[in-house]
Amino acid sequence: MARLKTYKESLLRQPTGHAYQFRATDSPIHRLGAGWKVAIGCLLSVAAFAAREPWVLAGLLLLNAFYYFLARLKLADFWRDTRFFAVQMIIIVSLYLLRFGVADGLWPGARTALQILLFFVPGVVLLRTTQTREMAQGLRRVLSPRMSFVVFSSLRFVPFFARELREITMAQRLRGAPLNFPRCIYPWNWKDVFHCLAIPLIVRALKTAHDAALSAEARGFGRQTSCESRVPGRLLPQRQENSSSNAEKSPF
Amino acid sequence: MANEFQERKTGSAYAFWNKLTLRDALYLGFCAVFIVITRAALRLHLSVPGHAMFFTIFFLVLGRACVPGTGAASLVGFVAGLLSMLLGMGKGGPLAVLKFVLPGLVVDAGGIVCPQFSASYAACIGVGAIASATRFITFFLVDWLIGMEQEVILQHVIIASAMNTLFGALGAALIPSIVRRLKIHQLIP
Repeated sequence: MARLKTYKESLLRQPTGHAYQFRATDSPIHRLGAGWKVAIGCLLSVAAFAAREPWVLAGLLLLNAFYYFLARLKLADFWRDTRFFAVQMIIIVSLYLLRFGVADGLWPGARTALQILLFFVPGVVLLRTTQTREMAQGLRRVLSPRMSFVVFSSLRFVPFFARELREITMAQRLRGAPLNFPRCIYPWNWKDVFHCLAIPLIVRALKTAHDAALSAEARGFGRQTSCESRVPGRLLPQRQENSSSNAEKSPF
Repeated sequence: MANEFQERKTGSAYAFWNKLTLRDALYLGFCAVFIVITRAALRLHLSVPGHAMFFTIFFLVLGRACVPGTGAASLVGFVAGLLSMLLGMGKGGPLAVLKFVLPGLVVDAGGIVCPQFSASYAACIGVGAIASATRFITFFLVDWLIGMEQEVILQHVIIASAMNTLFGALGAALIPSIVRRLKIHQLIP
């Protein structure tokens, strides 16, 4: 039992695998509602646009750091989330140095790069601290029922199609298709890869869309224009009429 | 299966959404799923800047080719943006939606100008390149709001969006052959 507890704690201590991935831990930011996090994120991002003076930027940097580390995210997480911006920062500062020289270009370049970083950090915190379920609940309030159905059905099918893709890849490799990893990473091989994978995957998607739509319509969820057919008493007489008309036409 | 897909004339996006069958809407949602899956798969292994645009543009144009109607590609982009936000795959948080919707809007605009563009290599490459160049707009907007010098903005967005445009055009170039094969097998109208 003690070993299990230690294992769980070590799992929580580990930085998550990918950038912007939800980090399962408990913090005041995690407990905050998704709407509040979006509002705080918008405020901080707007402040990043407006900040020009060094002391304002320094204050904003501290505020963002407080917001990020209050969510119990680690330095390793921070590096994973912001390493993309390191490249951006180098490009921007280099461009400023080339254009204005070291004396005039260093501060504006560094300021701009920092502003871009501060603009994106609140969004990163939102993704790191909000579970898919919470975001989905928030989205349901905003989207129409039909759009919600499409979005959340698609979300449900992400693992399904990932599995399908693996199975199709395996089947094509067994048939001799050159789909091994070293070949796939080069863009000039993507045409072959696409012809082996895309067509079966698209056919599978068409069939799954057909089946899923049929299943949803059978449960009363269909086109907006066909709302009348959802009235329970309406469907039965129509079917009876159809069956009686069929019976009249049928030679049996 | 082609007959099962409702043929519709190019109209407004609102009319398109009203006439869209559940099957078509789900198919467009699945195109968005493919965008998300390919982005997720590639970001683990590749670090070539802009490569994700290859698959994004491919599936956006494919959605528009399979479900003809103004708004199809935008719907794919919108769903892909929401999915990537829900799955924590975009650094901009809610801004990630914009990153997918803008290319979708351009693909739809391409469909209005040339309804059969998915059958032509030149039109596909053109639409794909312009659609992927919309990254230019998001970069420009962020840089401009921050107060960067105009000359530096221009250089920065050209560096940042050039590879996106190249990969987007390549992704769109694969569409005509795939659409032709789907049409031969009567899978799409």
